[in-house]
Amino acid sequence: MSFHNEHSWLLKVRNLTKVYGEPNERTVELTGPEFGTNICPETESIVACAGVSFDLFPGEVLGIVGESGSGKSTVVKLLYFDIEKTAGSAWLRPYGDGKTNILEASGQQKRYIRNHLMGTVYQNPRDGLNFSFSSGGNIAEKLIMAGHMHVGNIRERAAYLLDKTEVPVRRMDDRPAAFSGGMQQRVQISKAIANNPPLLFLDEVTTGLDVSVQARVLDLIRELQQELGIAMIVVSHDLSVIRMLTDRTLVMKHGRVVESGLTDQILQDPQHAYTQLLVSSLL
Amino acid sequence: MNIVEVHQLTKTFELHILNGKRITALSGIDFAIEEGEIIGLTGKSGSGKSSLMKCLYRTYLATSGEILYTAQAGVIDLVKAKDHEVLALRRAEIRYCSQFLSVIPRVPAVDVVAEPLMRTERNRDLARARARQMLEVLGLPTELWDAYPVTFSGGEQQRINVARAIIARPRLLLIDEPTASLDTRTKDVVIDLIRELKQDGTSVLCISHDEYTLGKMADRRLHLSGGHILSNVTATI
Repeated sequence: MSFHNEHSWLLKVRNLTKVYGEPNERTVELTGPEFGTNICPETESIVACAGVSFDLFPGEVLGIVGESGSGKSTVVKLLYFDIEKTAGSAWLRPYGDGKTNILEASGQQKRYIRNHLMGTVYQNPRDGLNFSFSSGGNIAEKLIMAGHMHVGNIRERAAYLLDKTEVPVRRMDDRPAAFSGGMQQRVQISKAIANNPPLLFLDEVTTGLDVSVQARVLDLIRELQQELGIAMIVVSHDLSVIRMLTDRTLVMKHGRVVESGLTDQILQDPQHAYTQLLVSSLL
Repeated sequence: MNIVEVHQLTKTFELHILNGKRITALSGIDFAIEEGEIIGLTGKSGSGKSSLMKCLYRTYLATSGEILYTAQAGVIDLVKAKDHEVLALRRAEIRYCSQFLSVIPRVPAVDVVAEPLMRTERNRDLARARARQMLEVLGLPTELWDAYPVTFSGGEQQRINVARAIIARPRLLLIDEPTASLDTRTKDVVIDLIRELKQDGTSVLCISHDEYTLGKMADRRLHLSGGHILSNVTATI
């Protein structure tokens, strides 16, 4: 019997692989956690991630945890088309009824997917926001890309989103440079959810923020998730963030998924040696 | 009808950071929970009570054996079920209430309690109203309802935790020491709330060291020692 329809996935990812440099046919098999490196000894090419596969269901929050260089951000960057894959496939249910490998879509198709079906929030607000536009302008840009034309409606929607993410609406015409770090992240979140995407990527969004600001941003994400039911992929090296936000977790090391499971199981009954080490280092 | 049937359940931890040292927490566990039954789980610290409960909730991965759970949609082995399936069951039917509240930063008490209901009901006002009702029954001072539980006393946090666990009326409730830091009057309220759930058919597995609590609500007692079931006794009330 099945309690969860196996075919109801929102995002399906298979064998996602990204290699930098000039690999040979043995590069992937000579790297990974069992070799303690992601650099190929024969070609010196770097395996940022390899063989990453998972399903994400609507409204589900998946965490990807691992140290710097483990490949966790690469996974998200590949799926948001920030970088080109070396190999692998991904299908997104609302696009072509999940029958098109989005990683092989044309540039125009990818732009459509990014503007309508996905949002992303980067660690560095400068990657997600245009600092020469106002905060409202940044949101407007995303709305216009998705085909909105009416200036009044765009302004109204931008104000609504800023209010929703606890940014004072009167500061809508200020540029992000004049905002604090926490506020810049909230503007990025507004922009990312502007077109009601079913899928949101969050890459180390609270890293570098003060504890109180961090709690506020995390709380906002939780609330939006509950209210809007957006599926999320949360990348973080911080197990507390993973514990607070996610249902399931992938643990990555040297470009590979070493363990996956329910988040509380990963944290309380880790199976892999690396996960045990990671969890035992938790403050 | 049995809602849970546990067969030959074993849990061994393999500690890679201690050179693969193996610690057996549970071995050869066999028991069943009937629909609408309250089982008291007893035993000394380290006897395996929490491990057993966590295996049932899948926070721990059982090493061998099976845990057959009769869900509304049919029977499923919680040892082998897929993560998505376990998540779906946790949202709809199975609830775990730990001994300590894991606080969510910046979320007021009333929302902490209402959260499980918000997931299923989607009507936030209704969920909040229900949460306030529960907090009132549990005697949590009204001025604390909108405060953050991180600053609450042990007994106040425990009440939040219990309220959160039962608000969505689960079919299976796994509850760890629900009355440990409460006074007798509040204990009685918690016991009544759990018995009320039982009337609706909820099955309960309850870890407790408190003779008063067990005497008032357990239909049967399961006593663990060194990871084995030492006795399985039906209460004579």
